[in-house]
Amino acid sequence: MEHTNPTDAAPWRPRIVAFFCNWCTYTAADLAGVSRMKYAPNTRIIRVMCSGRVDPQFILEAFARGADGVLVGGCHPGDCHYVEGNYKMLRRYHLLQRILSDMGIEKERFRLEWISASEGDKVKSVINDMVEKLTGLGPLALPDQRAEWDREMDILEEKMSVAETAEKEGTHA
Amino acid sequence: MLATEEAVEQMWGVTLDKLYDSEEGRRILSCIQCGTCVGTCPHGEYMDYPPRRIITMLKAGLIDEVLASDSMVMCVNCYACQTKCPRNIRLTEILLPIVKEQSLLQLETMPAELQKAIENTFRYGNYMGESARKRTQWTKTSKIPVRILSEDPRPVDALWLVESDLSYHPRGQDVARATVQIFDAIGADFAILGNEERSAGDCGRLSWEPGLSETLIDYTLSILKKYTYNRIIVSDPHALDALNFRYPMFGFSDTVEATVSFVHRHLDMLRPRLTKTLKYRVTYHDSCCLGRHNKLYDEPRELLLAIPGIELREMVHTRENSICCGGGGGGMWLDTYYKAKGMERLSDRRLREALATGADVLAIACPYELSRFEDAVKVAGAENRIVVRDIMELLVESFGDN
Amino acid sequence: MKENGEIRIGFYICHCGVNIASVIDVERIAAYAATLPGVVVSRHYKYMCSDPGQELLGSDIREHKLNRIVVAACSPLLHEHTFRKATENAGLNPYFMHMVNIREHGSWVHEDKELATGKAQDMIRAAIRRVRFHEPLEKKRVPVLQDVLVIGGGIAGIHASLTLANAGKHVILVEREPTIGGHMAQFDKTFPTLDCAACILTPKMTSVKDHPNITLWSYSEVVKIDGSVGNYTVTVKRKPRYVNEELCVGCMECIEACIYKEGKWPDEFNVGLSKRKPIYIPFPQAVPPVPVIDPEHCVHVKTGKCRDTCVAICGDRNAIDFTQKETLTDIKVGAIVVATGFDIFDATQIPYYGYGKYRNVYTALEAERLINASGPTGGELLLPDGHKPESIAIVHCVGSRDVHYNRWCSRVCCMYSLKLAHLIKERTGAEIYNFYIDMRAPGKSMEEFYNRVSEEGVHLIRGRVADITPQALPEGSDQGGYLGKLVVQAEDTLIGRVRKIPVDMVILAVGLVPQKDAEEVRRMLNISCSTGGFFLERHPKLAPVNTFTDGIFLAGACQGPKDIPDSVAQAGAAAAEALALIDAGSVEIEPNTAYIIEEDCSGCKSCIPLCPYTAISFDEAKKKAVINEALCKGCGTCVAACPSGSIRQHLFEDEEIFSEIDGLLTYA
Repeated sequence: MEHTNPTDAAPWRPRIVAFFCNWCTYTAADLAGVSRMKYAPNTRIIRVMCSGRVDPQFILEAFARGADGVLVGGCHPGDCHYVEGNYKMLRRYHLLQRILSDMGIEKERFRLEWISASEGDKVKSVINDMVEKLTGLGPLALPDQRAEWDREMDILEEKMSVAETAEKEGTHA
Repeated sequence: MLATEEAVEQMWGVTLDKLYDSEEGRRILSCIQCGTCVGTCPHGEYMDYPPRRIITMLKAGLIDEVLASDSMVMCVNCYACQTKCPRNIRLTEILLPIVKEQSLLQLETMPAELQKAIENTFRYGNYMGESARKRTQWTKTSKIPVRILSEDPRPVDALWLVESDLSYHPRGQDVARATVQIFDAIGADFAILGNEERSAGDCGRLSWEPGLSETLIDYTLSILKKYTYNRIIVSDPHALDALNFRYPMFGFSDTVEATVSFVHRHLDMLRPRLTKTLKYRVTYHDSCCLGRHNKLYDEPRELLLAIPGIELREMVHTRENSICCGGGGGGMWLDTYYKAKGMERLSDRRLREALATGADVLAIACPYELSRFEDAVKVAGAENRIVVRDIMELLVESFGDN
Repeated sequence: MKENGEIRIGFYICHCGVNIASVIDVERIAAYAATLPGVVVSRHYKYMCSDPGQELLGSDIREHKLNRIVVAACSPLLHEHTFRKATENAGLNPYFMHMVNIREHGSWVHEDKELATGKAQDMIRAAIRRVRFHEPLEKKRVPVLQDVLVIGGGIAGIHASLTLANAGKHVILVEREPTIGGHMAQFDKTFPTLDCAACILTPKMTSVKDHPNITLWSYSEVVKIDGSVGNYTVTVKRKPRYVNEELCVGCMECIEACIYKEGKWPDEFNVGLSKRKPIYIPFPQAVPPVPVIDPEHCVHVKTGKCRDTCVAICGDRNAIDFTQKETLTDIKVGAIVVATGFDIFDATQIPYYGYGKYRNVYTALEAERLINASGPTGGELLLPDGHKPESIAIVHCVGSRDVHYNRWCSRVCCMYSLKLAHLIKERTGAEIYNFYIDMRAPGKSMEEFYNRVSEEGVHLIRGRVADITPQALPEGSDQGGYLGKLVVQAEDTLIGRVRKIPVDMVILAVGLVPQKDAEEVRRMLNISCSTGGFFLERHPKLAPVNTFTDGIFLAGACQGPKDIPDSVAQAGAAAAEALALIDAGSVEIEPNTAYIIEEDCSGCKSCIPLCPYTAISFDEAKKKAVINEALCKGCGTCVAACPSGSIRQHLFEDEEIFSEIDGLLTYA
C-alpha cells in the first residue's frame, strides 16, 4: 500500500483536489498567478473543459484516495461557456452532498464555487478559507478508514468461519 | 463605512510599531498623498500635522516630531477624512487615535477643561462631576413612570442607556422625558439602569484616555451582565459608536440600536399620535457618529417628515458631507483651548449654515449638539430666528393629545 | 484500460528564468521524475519555450523514441500550443504532449519553497500517469465565413471597419445610435496636437458611408449571437427611424418643417445642454446624414393626428415612412470585432462635488460641447445666465483612483483636463485652476503638452478637491440651482495649506467607466469582464485584442480606458487578428469532442436533453444515442452523466482523469 503522507514526520496538512473549468476558474487561477497573489499550497488543480464534465465518481475517487477536500470551480450561473454545464454540476453537487453526509463526510469537505475569469482574488480567498476549515476538521483519511473497515471485515469473517467450523465440529461430535 | 470585523480587532491596543500587522493597518501604506483628508477636515487648516502629513512623517520615520506637537488635539473624531479617503484608510478608527493619545501624553499642560472632564468621568462616571445618586432625578418629573432595573430587575425587551447628558443636563433631561413618551407611544417594553449607570466610555474619550475607557467598559459590562434584555437602545451616538465598535473587542455581542432607528422601526405605531401640525421649517444636522460612522441618514429625516406640517430643508453640508459640531474627540471640553489658538467654533460655523436655510428649527439627534448649538444661537444672537430641538422633542410636540 | 505498447515518457521542467526555479527545486523534481515508471528522459531547462528548448524536446523524441511528453512550465493556456507544435514537428502526434502548470498555479502563488516543490511533484506525478492513456488525435478544420461584424461605430469601430474593408472583406458595422462617430464626435479638439476632432473624424465617417465593402446599420443593436469561431449567426435589431435611408437626400428640410418650431427635448449629442425636435439629426456631419424621428415625442407616431408637415415638405421623395417597424435580421459572420466603447462616470455619485445641484458644475464632456463651435452656445463658454466665467476650476480624478467609486486611473483625464485648460484660457482668458493628484502624461508628445500648458500660466494645484460649496450662502430654501461663485476647497499638498478658491465654474474631469449594458453584452458574446467591468482580453500583454472566445476581438475603450491614438492602434490590431482568422479560410477545432461506444449504450436517452447544442440524437432503429461531432463543443457534460459509461471525451477520458486524481494523491 502506498503511503498517504510524504514523510511520517511532516505535519499533516489538508490536501484538496480541485476541478477547475477551463474558461472561468482555471483562468482565474492563472490570473491569481499573474497577479502574484499568495495562497495556501494545499490544492492540486485538475483542468476540465467545463464543470459539467466533473463526474461524481471523480469526487468519490478523490476522497477514497485520501483527499481531505474536493473543490469544484465553474463559471457563474448564466456565464457558462457551454451555456449550462455549471447548472448540471450544481444539481450533482446537491445530490452528492447528501450521499457524502450519509458516509459521514462533512459538507465543508466538498465545495462548489462560481469563480469568473477575472476573480483571481476569489481563487485565493476560497482556497485559503477551505484550507482553514479543513484544518479545523482534521484529516478525513478515508484510505486508512478503508483499511480499518477491511480489517473489521476480516475479523468478522474470521469469527464467522471459526463459528462455522465450531458448528461443523459440533455436528461431527 | 462601517468598520469591518478585522478593523474592529485592529483598533484596540494597536501601537505605532504594530500598525502594519493587519491588512487594515497596512492600507496606510497605500496613501497617495492627495490631501482629501486635510481639505475636508474641519480643523485641517489649523493643524501643523494634518492626517496626510502624519502619514508622510510616519513613512519617513519622523513620527516623533508629530507626537511632540499638539496638532492632533484639534481632531474632533468626526470621520470626515476617513469617509472621503479614496484609499479607504482607517484614519479616524486606527491611525489618528494612536497619534492623539501619544501627543496628549507629551503635552506640557493638559487643557484644564479637558483635564477636569476626565477626572470627573473617572470619579463620578459622568464628565459633569454630578453625583451618581442624582442620575435618575429626571424620572421624577416624567409623565410616564420609568422602570429602573436596579429596583425591578425583571427581564425587559429594551434596555435604554440614557447616558450622562440626558441624565443630568437640564435640556438633556427634556429630551430624556420626551424619549420616554415616545417609547410609551410605540408600546416599548423598556427600562433603564438607573443610578448604577456610568458613562459608556464613548469614542471621543476612547481616543485620548484608553485606560479610563477600558475601566468604564469593564464596569458597564459587569452591570449589563446582571440583567436580561433583548436589545440595548442608545440615545447618545458616541455611546452607540462605543458599543458598536469598541465593546465587541471585550466580548460584547448584544443587539444595539440607536434611539432614532428603534423609533423609526416602530414609526407606524407612532404615526397615529402625530396629529398636531407643526408649521416649522426644519433643518437637520447629521451627527458624525450617527451619520458618517453608523450610516443613519434617512431614519432621522423620515421621523421628522412623519410630523404633519414640517418642511425639511438641507444645509450646504449634509449627510456624509456634514460638518462636525466640534464636540467629538474631546472637542466638547476644548473650546477655550481652540479659542486661544484663534480657531472658530465649529458649532458657530454650522449654525450659520443652518440659518442660511431659513429654517426656524435646527433638529438634532445627539445630546452634545443640544448644548453646543444652543450656545451658538446665543453667541449669534439668533434666539428669535431659530431654536434647537431634539427629534424626540419635536415628535412629542406633535402629539395631539399632549 | 487501454494503455498498450511500450510507454516511453520524456519529462521536461522549465526554470522560466527564475520565475519557477527560484521557488520550486527544479533539479530535485527532474531527478524525482526520472524514477517514475515509463520515464525515459527527465530534464530541467532554463526556458523550455525558447527555440533551443523546443529543439531539445524534438531531438529527444527522435533520439530516445519518446512517445509521451510531459512539460512542467507555465499555464497551458499560454504555451500548450507551442509544445504541441514542437511535439508534432518531431513526428509525434501533438496530443501525446501534456502540460503541468507549475508557474501560475505554483511558483507565483506560493512562498514556501518546500511546499511549492511538493505540490509540483504531486502534479507532475499525476501528469506522468495521465499521459500514458493519451491517444493520437486529429484536429478538425471547419471553414470560416468571410464576413466580419463590427459592433460599435466610435473611432475604434470605424477604424477597424475601414481596415477590414480596405483588405477586401465585407464588414457589417452595427451602431446603436442614429449616427456613427461615438464620443470622439462630441469632442472639440484633441490632445496633445490640438487638431479638431471633427476635422479628423468626419472624413473617416464619410469613408465608412461610401465604402463598397461596408454595410452600415445605424440605429441598430445586436441582440443575439449563436455559433462559434468562423461561423457566427448574429441577430440584429433594426429600430425604425421612420425616415427611409435610401430615399432621404439629407436636405434636413423636414426638421425645419416640423410642427414644433423650437427644440423641446434634451439633445443627446449635446449631453442635454440644448433642445431638439422630435425629428432631428444628431449633428450636421452625422453618418448616415439621415434624420431620425423620436417615437416618444413625435405627434404622428404617438397619436396619428399630425399635420405631417415633414411628409409634405419631403414631397415626392417620400422618405418619411411612418410604416417602418422594428425588424430582426440574421447575419452570418466569421469573426466579430467588439468596439462598444465607454461611458462617463456619473458625477452625481459624489455628493460633495455638487454636480446636479449647482448649475455651474459641469462634466468635462459638457465642457467639450460648450466650447465647440457646433455646440449649444456656438463655441462661446457661457454660464447658464449668459455671463462669461472669469475663473474656472478643473477637478481631476472625479470617480477615478477611488475605492468608493472606481479604483482605476482613467488614463485620459489628466491630458484632456490640460487640453480644456488650454482651450478655455485661450478663448476666454479666464483664470484656470487644475486640481490634480498626480499628473499623468505618458505617451508621445504628452509631457511636452503638459509643459506647454504649465507655461501658459494655468494654476496647477496638487491636491484632490475635498469640497465644493457656494461662496455666498443663499438665504432660504436649499441650494438647488445655485449659480453664484463656488468655493473649491483642497489641500495644496505642495505648500501644505488648505486653499479655498472661489470660481465661477467647475469642470469635473469624470473618469471612464464601462458601458451600462456591458454586462449583458458580455453575456451575449460569451466573453469575460475584468474586475472593473471592462471586457477582459485573453492576455494583458501578448493577446491584448483577443478574448477567451475564439473569433471575438476587442477594440478601443470597451477593453479599458484609452485615448484616441491607442483606440485606433488597438482597432487596427483587432482588424488584423480578424483578417488573419478569416484569410486562413478555415479554423482548427480542438479534438476534445465526445463520442459514443455504441455497444455499451443502453439507449436510456439521459444524455439527449443535457446537450445545449443538440449534438446528440437518438437512432430509433439501433436504439442508441448518436453524437454529431461537428456540433459538439466538447464540454463533457454528457460524458459525466452517462450511466453506462458509454460516452467518452477525447483528451478528457475517464482513465485520464482518474489516473490524474490517483497520481495527485499517491506518494510513491
